[in-house]
Amino acid sequence: MDVRVCGILVVVLAPFAGAALCGILGRSPSGRRAVVLTTGGVVMLAALSLLGEVPFRLEIPAVLHAPLEIAFFAADAVLLAAFLYIGAKYRHAAILVLSFLQAAGLLVFKGFLARSAGPPGGVVCDALALLLVLIVSVVGSLICFQALPYMDNHERHYRVSPSRQPRFFAILLLFLGAMNGFVLFNDLGSLYVFFELTTLCSFLLIGHDRTHVAVKNALRALWMNSVGGLAFALGMIEAYRSAGTLDLAQALAAPRLEGDAIYFVALALFGLACLVKSAQFPFQGWLLGAMVAPTPVSALLHSSTMVKIGVYFLLRLAPGFPGTFLGQALALAGAFGFLAAAALAVGQSNGKKVLAYSTISNLGLMFACIGVNTGSALLAATLLLTFHAVLKAMLFLSVGAIEQHIESRDIEDMRGLYAAMPLTAMITLAGVVMMIFPPFGVLLGKWMAIEAAARHLPAVVMIALGSALTVLYWARWAGTLLSDPLGTRFHAERQPLLTWLALGSLCLGTAALSVAAPWLVEGGMASIGQPADETAYTVVRGGLESASGSFAVLPLSLAAACGLLLSALALRRASRARPVPPYLSGLQTGEAAVFRGPMQQPVRVAARNYYLDTLFGEERLNPWVNFGGAILLTLILGGVL
Amino acid sequence: MTAGALFVIVALAAGLGIGVISAGFDRILTARLQSRVGPPLLQPVYDVVKLALKEPLIVNAWQAFCACTTLAAAILAWVLFFLQSDLLLVFFVQAVGAVFLVVGALAAASPYSHIGAHRELLQMLAYEPLLILVFIGMYLETGSFRLEALFAWPKPLLLRLPFLFLVLAFALIVKMRKSPFDLSSCHHAHQELVRGVLTDYSGPLLALAEVAHWFEVALILGLFTLFWPDGGVGRFLLPVAAWLGVIAVDNLTSRANWRWMLGCAWGLGLGLAIVNLVWIR
Amino acid sequence: MRALRRFIDRMRAKSPWLLHFDCGSCNGCDIEILACLTPLYDVERFGVVHQGNPLHADLLVASGTVNPRNRKVLENLYAQMPAPKVVVAVGACGLSGGVFRDAYNVVGGIDRVIPVDVYVPGCPPRPEAIIDGVVLGLQKIARGGEGR
Repeated sequence: MDVRVCGILVVVLAPFAGAALCGILGRSPSGRRAVVLTTGGVVMLAALSLLGEVPFRLEIPAVLHAPLEIAFFAADAVLLAAFLYIGAKYRHAAILVLSFLQAAGLLVFKGFLARSAGPPGGVVCDALALLLVLIVSVVGSLICFQALPYMDNHERHYRVSPSRQPRFFAILLLFLGAMNGFVLFNDLGSLYVFFELTTLCSFLLIGHDRTHVAVKNALRALWMNSVGGLAFALGMIEAYRSAGTLDLAQALAAPRLEGDAIYFVALALFGLACLVKSAQFPFQGWLLGAMVAPTPVSALLHSSTMVKIGVYFLLRLAPGFPGTFLGQALALAGAFGFLAAAALAVGQSNGKKVLAYSTISNLGLMFACIGVNTGSALLAATLLLTFHAVLKAMLFLSVGAIEQHIESRDIEDMRGLYAAMPLTAMITLAGVVMMIFPPFGVLLGKWMAIEAAARHLPAVVMIALGSALTVLYWARWAGTLLSDPLGTRFHAERQPLLTWLALGSLCLGTAALSVAAPWLVEGGMASIGQPADETAYTVVRGGLESASGSFAVLPLSLAAACGLLLSALALRRASRARPVPPYLSGLQTGEAAVFRGPMQQPVRVAARNYYLDTLFGEERLNPWVNFGGAILLTLILGGVL
Repeated sequence: MTAGALFVIVALAAGLGIGVISAGFDRILTARLQSRVGPPLLQPVYDVVKLALKEPLIVNAWQAFCACTTLAAAILAWVLFFLQSDLLLVFFVQAVGAVFLVVGALAAASPYSHIGAHRELLQMLAYEPLLILVFIGMYLETGSFRLEALFAWPKPLLLRLPFLFLVLAFALIVKMRKSPFDLSSCHHAHQELVRGVLTDYSGPLLALAEVAHWFEVALILGLFTLFWPDGGVGRFLLPVAAWLGVIAVDNLTSRANWRWMLGCAWGLGLGLAIVNLVWIR
Repeated sequence: MRALRRFIDRMRAKSPWLLHFDCGSCNGCDIEILACLTPLYDVERFGVVHQGNPLHADLLVASGTVNPRNRKVLENLYAQMPAPKVVVAVGACGLSGGVFRDAYNVVGGIDRVIPVDVYVPGCPPRPEAIIDGVVLGLQKIARGGEGR
């Protein structure tokens, strides 16, 4: 069989098969391990084998049309029935109403409108789809690998018996398949099924621990995402009404009339679905609640892949935006999300919440870029999507490892982490550095975003403010990791091999990808989004150059490597110098951070980070950001009518 | 190759020179304003050489790493500026230095360092958006972020971007750690916070941080030259004027607290910047 | 090599940063020490900067009597100063305990706790005398350079 067909079949179907096997063989730890490792490895290889093949389009053979249609319809019915069941079981009115509306809409659609929808649109694998497939397959599999030792620890710690891991890993693998299906299929009807499937996976995984909070937050995620699901369904119906087809590529290519309102209604509805899925304001609540899930879930669904659905789908739809009010509104909403989430992150001391807000913030920046919609802005969004996915996965996994070691996810408790877990602390620090500093990929994306958005004044002001806030909360965290008692020597602490595999490869991978960024751009990323009306960036001497600026990636990387080497030498030399306690008004004792207080009693120094909750606390900002988010959402929806 | 190396050496010498003269004149001028004589012009050099040769005392070995990175980033940013690279890139590189100084201070388990470090972060919060908006203004006017193009721009940017000039001067006050924005390092009020962010850097590490600060100041002063086209006296006078203004403000104001600073930067500074950006658009 | 050495010594002598510690004086000496920084005497002419931090200081200018409570502080501050460093004891109390030397809670002068390089007598000494003491201390730094 053809490499393409084979690869596509494997990346979509192997996870489903793995999930089923996990349900059967997952009882025994070794069986579970074998299934997850094999499935992950196979999917990874299949995704990599597609590298040289893009772009291509596969049509589905005619014999399969009818069975596929029935299968997707059945899947739709099962999913919506499941949502209705959950709504009924937990007596959740919003879920019931939203699922019912979706079911009714779909029935009407399938029954009356789309009788002659034609054959399913097949599979389109272009640079964008392949990028997402690679992220899902490679990063996703690595996260699943790390989840193996993590969940063992987790269940030991919470004394879960009998083990619920078979179910956990089955859902995790199922999710990988659903994600790959979503990015590869070209038919809006199938997309809707996969969209809802990811929602269901998210619900099940958030509620995995079955505590009161977990169930509550899972329900919140479900009802908010059902809003997205409803918007997606309505958008699909509108798109069919206006374009006459469910084939996404054709619908986008269809000539549109000047001021064709219905077309924009569909786009706006899809935009709403994407904003919900990517937890933009005022729907940020579900993503924050999702942080109760075990950390691999946060890493996989809630930072690196599922929340990227919104960005991915809007990048697909990007050709529809130029010159529209919708694009402008989206740029505003995205930039607002970037700023507001960064401000909220400043007020947080909970490490996972900081990561969650940072995710929302970065997703906002990507939306802003898509809204600005020039060639370079779309490239910026693509770069941010890639690097954010890899890096945030790594940071979540590090926090997971830290959390299992120190039994806290609070940044304050990570003080002196370098002494307890030197290598993990180093990897986390590297993650922070790669998040905010040149020459690494995220900053490259941000640089492009600022250059691209420069003419969009409100957006660029918000981006400027948001960047400063971003630096604040990351730098604070980095410093906290390094504050250690005197004289700790570097050594790698004990961790399961799979944890090191995931952390190490993600960390090195990000660095390597950053250096290779100019060539990634040249080799296909630049084609993503729209037919290049401008050759936005060219590679000159290992750097990226545009008409208005240049970013010398390779020279800067070399300079950074030299700087790192020098600083590391300084560090080595310094660890041999005479150690002194920090200045404590001359009252220090032999022990670090302890001074002699009244009555000669030892007193421990209490120094805490600034979290500025009076300015950036959730209680204070939430009403404002929700209000702002709601206004911008109204702008997106109302503007098209 | 040799030409390139020579160029970098010239750049380094220029940065050092500007930094030293700025710091030295500052102390003399401030002394004169207080009817004192003040130290010799090269006093900053004496200080740094002395510090560099003192016994290294280490509060936390990571401070050495951070001080070294701070200096490397400050020098790199200056060299990039001199090589006429991208304006935003220069800004991002200098931010690396500023952040690592803070990270080093946070690594020391002393409340003085901590409070200083957080204040430094708040100061960055105050000036970073302003600097980005100044660059945006320059871009909107000239259509480029490349320093090459900006240096060659034939018309005086000052006339089109007067408010952004003021905003940049505002950023210079913060960046030079001058009152009322010397919250983090407390040049004038040692009893409040010892030396804030610099408290636990000592000897050679302090020397590294000090040299890095020279380069940072040189960089911001260099940005002022962009406001006047090549060949005019203005290219030299503008940085000097801004610098004198900063020293005057330093001697005329008392110290602020961070809320006031943030309000000032995000209210007044941002307001001025936006007004200017709106009218040139 | 010699020239370099001399250059370094000169730099050291030209940039004395001092830490002032009051062990328990009546504040007479402290007022005189601070007077040195005022426009009338302006010791910044010689590069003297008043640092509040032993980690940055070259000279420790100490005044007042040492008692069991503050002797540990004095030791700590001295230990936190990077070499080469010099101690200048100022005022009668700092030299020997002064009129308080027989009190039950007085250990004595500064040199009972840490090595003192320069003694500036007086009750209180005049600013000129203190400046003279600092200059003597600087010569010691410039000459020795090896520190302790």
